[in-house]
Amino acid sequence: MAVKAFSDQWATQFKDEVNKSSVYKQAAKGWKWTVGLVVEAEPDKNFPEAKGVVMDLFDGAARDITVGTAADAQKCDFVITAPYSRWKQVATKELDATKGMLQGKLKLKGDLPTIVRYTKASQEMTECTTRVPVEWPDET
Amino acid sequence: MLGGLIEANVENSPAKTKDFQALDARVGIFVTDIDEGVTLEFRKGSLVVHNGLQPERDLTIRAEADTVMNLSNLKIGLFGMPVYYDAVGRGVAAKLLGGKLRIEGLLGNLATLNSVTRIFSVQ
Repeated sequence: MAVKAFSDQWATQFKDEVNKSSVYKQAAKGWKWTVGLVVEAEPDKNFPEAKGVVMDLFDGAARDITVGTAADAQKCDFVITAPYSRWKQVATKELDATKGMLQGKLKLKGDLPTIVRYTKASQEMTECTTRVPVEWPDET
Repeated sequence: MLGGLIEANVENSPAKTKDFQALDARVGIFVTDIDEGVTLEFRKGSLVVHNGLQPERDLTIRAEADTVMNLSNLKIGLFGMPVYYDAVGRGVAAKLLGGKLRIEGLLGNLATLNSVTRIFSVQ
């Protein structure tokens, strides 16, 4: 059953998908930093307020994934920022996250060498988001 | 992003700093699956990143985004040579042999390529 994008239910399902992934478990061995996703508001897409996804990831597992404010996400060790519609493109496989970062469509803050070392893990994490059936606010 | 990656690498490693201070070259990186590129202008301790491929490049690397990221994951082995025999290295070598990774200007610029690879590598 589809869940509302960037809702608490979405976060729970996303966390479950990450923890089910053997690829992620292997690729993210040694990862010990928090990651925040800032989803910028786009009122014309029925996404009126920015949200923040806080991911507590440790050594190949998602210990917790929660949805809060953009400010919560900005406190993380790594912060990736994009407008709502860009995140939707990533979650629907219209935009590859690696390409998005290279093009500056997804803004990354944090130690670049560290995140580049874990490219495969971040790609698998993106794959996990695509496995969560989502109800998008601009489609309802 | 590539400029930021190089900056962070150089700040964190005396060996990369040494390479960076010695490197005098214009290197183009063109990401074929997004049809975008940059020119990295290394001038012995400084770097200017230009959008697009600028003229008078010494080397030009053309590859898909994933391969560009893999290039930065190449390990550096003995004598500062990139390692092509582990999983990442074999993947890069396969792309090179299959024509999915193209390096223009290699003749006469092998040392430059190795320096750039070392500076670019996060390993």
